[in-house]
Amino acid sequence: MKMIVHDLENAGELPWLTAFGSGQDVIGTDEAVIRHCTGCFGCWTRTPGTCVLKDEYRHLGARLAACDEMVLISRCTYGGYSPFVCNVLNRMLPYVLPYFRMLKGQMHHQLRYEQTVKFNVYFYGEDLTANERKTAQALVQANSLNLGAKGFEVSFYDNIRQLKEVLS
Amino acid sequence: MNIALINGSPKGGATNSGFLLEKLRPLLPQEAEISTYRIGPKALKNEQYLELLAMDTLVLAFPLYFDAIPSHLLRMLTEMERSTQSSNQRPQTVRVYAMINNGFFEGDQCKLAVEMIRNWCERCGFMFGTAFGHGAGEMFGSVGHVPVGSGPLKNLGLALEHLVGSIRSGESTEPFFTQPNFPRGLWKFSSTQLFWNATAKKNGLKPKDLRRRPGIPPIRLSQSGGKRQDM
Repeated sequence: MKMIVHDLENAGELPWLTAFGSGQDVIGTDEAVIRHCTGCFGCWTRTPGTCVLKDEYRHLGARLAACDEMVLISRCTYGGYSPFVCNVLNRMLPYVLPYFRMLKGQMHHQLRYEQTVKFNVYFYGEDLTANERKTAQALVQANSLNLGAKGFEVSFYDNIRQLKEVLS
Repeated sequence: MNIALINGSPKGGATNSGFLLEKLRPLLPQEAEISTYRIGPKALKNEQYLELLAMDTLVLAFPLYFDAIPSHLLRMLTEMERSTQSSNQRPQTVRVYAMINNGFFEGDQCKLAVEMIRNWCERCGFMFGTAFGHGAGEMFGSVGHVPVGSGPLKNLGLALEHLVGSIRSGESTEPFFTQPNFPRGLWKFSSTQLFWNATAKKNGLKPKDLRRRPGIPPIRLSQSGGKRQDM
């Protein structure tokens, strides 16, 4: 199963998205209101593996652990994800453990689960700068390392239409 | 010179970002008029964005989340970019600085967040002054009594000097990344024993409890007909 996180808000995109995400765990802006991570570490030290914020997104760690691929569809924002996609990712903190391990000479989190995901990110944006693309590429690679992903891919599209053509 | 000190930590109460701003403040030019802002999950008001656009200098202090800017602060930055597009003020006079802390040991894990701030400046027409990234940020809460520039805060002193030098000169400089001058293994040990395991104990949990794997909740799968079905 895939977890598909997207920030597509235009109602015209939803029929395509519904077909693309059929049978998958799809998380979009049309779902329940999402709260921001407050950095309380409760998902590590109070209710391990589950966020303490009582909304629809508190089980994202376990939900990701049920998947073998995570797909992010996001407007490229300053070389990162859009605020909504970033918010969902931030709420996935319980997917990893607070404890550290060393990878490639740097500290990273130990993994809570044995399962790993492939990380696939589709960025879109009309006038992305070279530095935004470079930052975004490096960000996905860094996230992939931190989440213990078994692989990652990043691609960029000038607009959603172009992205849909590739994914359809 | 008008300077806005912006605490981008979503936590309430004392924060590591607040610690950095507190240590920076006495080093700023005496003639500077300083305002403080707290960016939490609640959005800023329109008039606050206009106040920020009227500043000469913005200093953002925030924690690293997933190698990047936390989502609540990112949302504020996108709102501010919109304000620059609708405002008649001259945003090119705004100079931006950032102080980023992360929970790992290595300060250079903040480098992508710095690049995002640089990219944001370009979008807004601001000038990127400089930034620093500091590792082991959770240490700050336990070393508040240590003078900056000595002991575990020796390298923080250098980072602050770097930032203040750029603020005073008005010249952009490359970012600076550092961490406490004690062994990385000591941070790994102390964060495990003195922070995570100690906090677990306070919450009535054992270290092994922190490794729990909660069961998979019912997942509503998307269906091609537009409905969702519980798995």
